Parts: sequence; structure tokens; C-alpha cells
Amino acid sequence: MVRLILVLTIFCLVAAAALAKVYDITKGPIAEQERLKTISGLKAVLPAFNNDLDKEATEVIVGQDKKGRDIKIKFYKGKLDENPVGTAFQVIAPDGYAGNISILMGVGPDRKVSGIEIISHKETPGLGNKIQKDEWKGQFKGRSLDDGPKLAVKKDGGEIDQFSGATISPRAVVNAVKKGLEIYKKESGNGG
Amino acid sequence: MDNVIEILLILVSTIFVTNFVLARFLGICPFLGVSSRIETSIGMGMAVVFVITLAGICSWLIDKFVLIPLDIVYLRTIVFILVIAALVQFVEMVIRKTSPALYNALGIFLPLITTNCAVLAVALLVVQNEMDFFPMLFFAFGAPVGFTVALLLMAGIREHTVHAKIPKVLQGTPISLVTAGLMALAFLGFAGLVKM
Amino acid sequence: MADREISTSEMTEAVEAVEATSWLDIKELSGDLVRGLWEEIPLFRLVLGTCPTLAVTTSATNGVGMGIATMFVLVASNIMISILRKVIPDMVRIPAFIIVIASFVTITDLMMAAFTPELHHSLGIFIPLIVVNCIVLARAEAFASKYNIIRSAADGLGMGIGFTLVLILLGSTREILGNGTWFDLPVLTGLMGLFNYEYQPMIVMILPPGAFIGLGLWVALANKIEEKRKGKK
Repeated sequence: MVRLILVLTIFCLVAAAALAKVYDITKGPIAEQERLKTISGLKAVLPAFNNDLDKEATEVIVGQDKKGRDIKIKFYKGKLDENPVGTAFQVIAPDGYAGNISILMGVGPDRKVSGIEIISHKETPGLGNKIQKDEWKGQFKGRSLDDGPKLAVKKDGGEIDQFSGATISPRAVVNAVKKGLEIYKKESGNGG
Repeated sequence: MDNVIEILLILVSTIFVTNFVLARFLGICPFLGVSSRIETSIGMGMAVVFVITLAGICSWLIDKFVLIPLDIVYLRTIVFILVIAALVQFVEMVIRKTSPALYNALGIFLPLITTNCAVLAVALLVVQNEMDFFPMLFFAFGAPVGFTVALLLMAGIREHTVHAKIPKVLQGTPISLVTAGLMALAFLGFAGLVKM
Repeated sequence: MADREISTSEMTEAVEAVEATSWLDIKELSGDLVRGLWEEIPLFRLVLGTCPTLAVTTSATNGVGMGIATMFVLVASNIMISILRKVIPDMVRIPAFIIVIASFVTITDLMMAAFTPELHHSLGIFIPLIVVNCIVLARAEAFASKYNIIRSAADGLGMGIGFTLVLILLGSTREILGNGTWFDLPVLTGLMGLFNYEYQPMIVMILPPGAFIGLGLWVALANKIEEKRKGKK
């Protein structure tokens, strides 16, 4: 009986030690991959920049959720040779067809959208997930709150395409981008 | 009231919208192996609900109070599967002592639950999605209930079609898989019902 | 001690006993390798490892990724368990196997997160679930705990390759029909594009029903082939 427990314990200890070693080796590369993913997302939504924006990001509280907890968003300020070219931040569309859609959007100093990227979603493949197509995302470039009612899906009287059989996903993204622009307006109005 | 609604939504979501067998592909091996008769399916279902709910709670607690504070989150897989194996042994002992009849009914299914991917999957999902305690509780309960629902539906279909003329190459696994596919197709109708 | 005649059966037994402990019996080894490629191929002949198969085969690339990851775990744990087979007490052999397998699965998980992040993201929760992939535990119990290292490695390799082949078959079917691409190359979309026709993918193949029905039909095909083979014998 004691032998059984002893053998298993030794196994566990050896396994734990081996795994700790592997974890040590892979910790750096894994963190680097995360960073590269963030940077490539930022590159897609902002015009050219050459600062370390992930290190200079600021966290802003934009409101409270249903449970009263603060909603924080990271603002990444892109600069080209110290001149600001745009700010990127994440917005979440809660009204996607199958759940939250996470969107990274870039806004220029002129308060116009410089690009959007869909970070995560649960939309239906072949229908709602067409929001990931470059041509569709490109429709948001240059849009701003000044567009007024034009910043909506065509069904709602706006200029953004929806997909046949999948209006909910595009509409959710449009609403989130609009909300994002409003957040930016509020934050940059405070000297951001 | 808000909480009750949230709980109901979690249950509907795990049982129907993202049914663990028909939408998430978890627990397929026992699903194919056990679903030939309704009786055995009920027994397996009950055992699985018990084990997975407990496993979810244990994994959540261990993750929150041991793995995260000690920064050994990478040991999740190995710790959870050992906890599950121990839990299954424990449940087996308890059932054998308290209800020999139930133990005989469940027979070999109990040890098999350890390799049911749904158990480990639920344990990993509740910690990866950083759920609070009560949502986790109902998620860990709803998931195996969904498994049981799918199991019972399949058993019902198989009992009905046991005398059907199935082409030889389709007999056994193939026709079960195709049946499951049609069930999955039906369950797709629940998509978008609950946004989780 | 009087000499006695050795019967043929005793002779055969003695030879077999020697053969069973031989390390480099090529015929045996190739048998071990080949077994996993058809006779006991996972999924088509042995109903094992169905969960990851159905879940990850939304594309051929994912299928290959999962297949190779599982093959690594199979070979590594078979070797390790074979090395330790005389040390592991019989009563606790299942927990011991689980510790070994889970360790290799965690190593695979960490390595993939560090060096193949996209694949790691696509395969998601099914990488840690390799530990409950019945194939791995079944081979550990049925083979690695009884035979020597080289044969165990060959068995793991054979099963791993067989599993990967099935994943590629199902993954390719679902990707080509459900997305028009194969390994992300625009196969059907490109072909139809030549005729100025836009390929409308069969989305159901990418969705769960397609997985079940696709696998069911492939198993049926494998059954048919096996029937024909048996018929010929």
C-alpha cells in the first residue's frame, strides 16, 4: 500500500518538475506570440506608426457593467516620429447573433475610423462570419459620427452592406463602431 | 430575479443551444456505445450528471485556491484529470455502499466516465471562461443534462429502429453517426436562441 | 536425467518465447507499425478518438495538426510507459499512465502555444483533451505496458499515422465541400472560378451535422472495403 502511494507520488513529482521546466522554456515565446498578435491587429487598424504602442497604452474606465464593475478599455496611441496618427481600442458588440463580437477599431485624430478588425466572434460560418472579410471591414474606413444616419446597415437606411440572411451580425458591428466613436469623442474631448 | 433568469439562460444554453454532444462533440464515445437502450442511458446519464457537476466544482475550487495563487496554471490538465479519476473512484465506492442495485445497473459505465471527454472539457471550460461560482455550478450541471438529453433521444431512436432494414455497410457505427448528424441538424435550430 | 524427445508444440513454444523477447524482429515491428494503418485503424475499425475527429476536422490543416500532436503524445507516452512497465505496480497502473500521458499532453500544449499559435488557437480545448483520447490510454494499457520500447514506439507511430490519415480524409472532405478550399488552397472556388461560376459552399459540412454524417459515411466506406477484402480471402 505504501509502495503504491510512494510510486505515484514520485511520478507526480517528476512530472511536475518536467512540466515546470517546459513551462519556463515556453513562457517567453508564448508571451511574445501574444504581443505579436496584438501588434498585428493594431497594424491593421491604424495608419503607419513607429512607436512601442503596447508599452505606452493607457487604460480608461468608460462606464460600469450590469454588476457595477468598471468597464476598462486599453487605448493604444500610435505615433509616427512622435506625431499622433491614431488611437486604437477594443469595443464589444453584445448583440451579435450568437454572442459577443470583439472588435478592435482605430480612430484618427480627425475622429474618422482608420480601420476595424474582428478579434473574436461566435457568428455562423458562411453567414454572419462574413464580417471578417476585408471588403466588408473596409467599408468602415473614413466613417465618423458626422455620417449620421448613413452609418448603419442598408436595411436601416444606411450605407453599410448587410449579408442576405445575416443582418444581425453586421448590425451589431455597426452599433459597436458607433459606440466606439462616441467613446473616443468623450475621451479625446478630455484632452486625450 | 435577474439571477434566476441568468440561471435559466445558462441551462437552456448548455442543454439545447450548444448541446455538449451534438454541437460541441464531447462525450461521443459513450454516446455511441451506451445509447442502444433507454434504461442504460438513464443510468449513464444520472452518473454523468453527478460526476461532472462535482468535477466542475472541484476543478473550479482547486484552480481558484491552489493553481492560480501558486502560478502553476499550466498544471491544469494533469491536476484536473487526476482529480476526475479520483472522483470517479470515490463515486463508485459511494454508490456501491449506498445502493448496490444502482451499482449493478451502472456496472462498467462508471470507470468509463473518466475518459469521457465531456468531464475534462467542463472542468477546463469553467476555469478558462473565468466563471463565477453560481454560473459555473449551473453550467457544470446543465452540460451533462444536455448530454443525457441527447443520449435519451438517441436511445429512443435506436430502440425504434432496431428492426429496420439497414444496409450492411451502414450497420453499427455509420448509421449511429448519421442519426446523430440529423439530430445535430435539428438542434442547429436552437442557434442564436440564447446569446452566451 | 534421461533425455526425452521434445515435441513439436514445445519446440514452437520455445521459439515463440525467444521471438517474443527479441528487440529487432523486423517482421514483428512492421506488423506493429502497419496494424494501426488498416487492421486496427482508429475510427474506421476501432471506435476510439471520435470526439477530436469530429471537432477539429473543419479543415485539412487542422486535421493534420491534431493528428501530429496526438501522434507525438502516443509515441512519447508509449515509449515512457514501456520503459517504466516493470516499475509501475499493477493496482495503480491507470493513474500512473494518466500522469505520463497528461504530462506529454501538457508539453504538447505549451509547445504549440509558443511555436504554432494559430494552430493552437484553432484546435483550442481539444489539445488538452488528447489526454482522454481513448486511443492513447487504450494503447498504453493494451500494448506499451506489455511490450518493449521499440515495439511500443512502432505501435504508437502506426496508430498515430492511421489516426492522422483519417483526420486528413474527413478534414479534406469537410473543407472542400464546405469551404471550397483544400489546405487553404482555393480548389473548388478556383476551379469554378475558371468557368466564371461562384462556388456556393455546402456550409452544413463545416457545421456539426456535416461532421457526424461525413464520418459516418467514411466509416461505411471503410466497412465496404473491408468486406471486399475479406471476400477476396
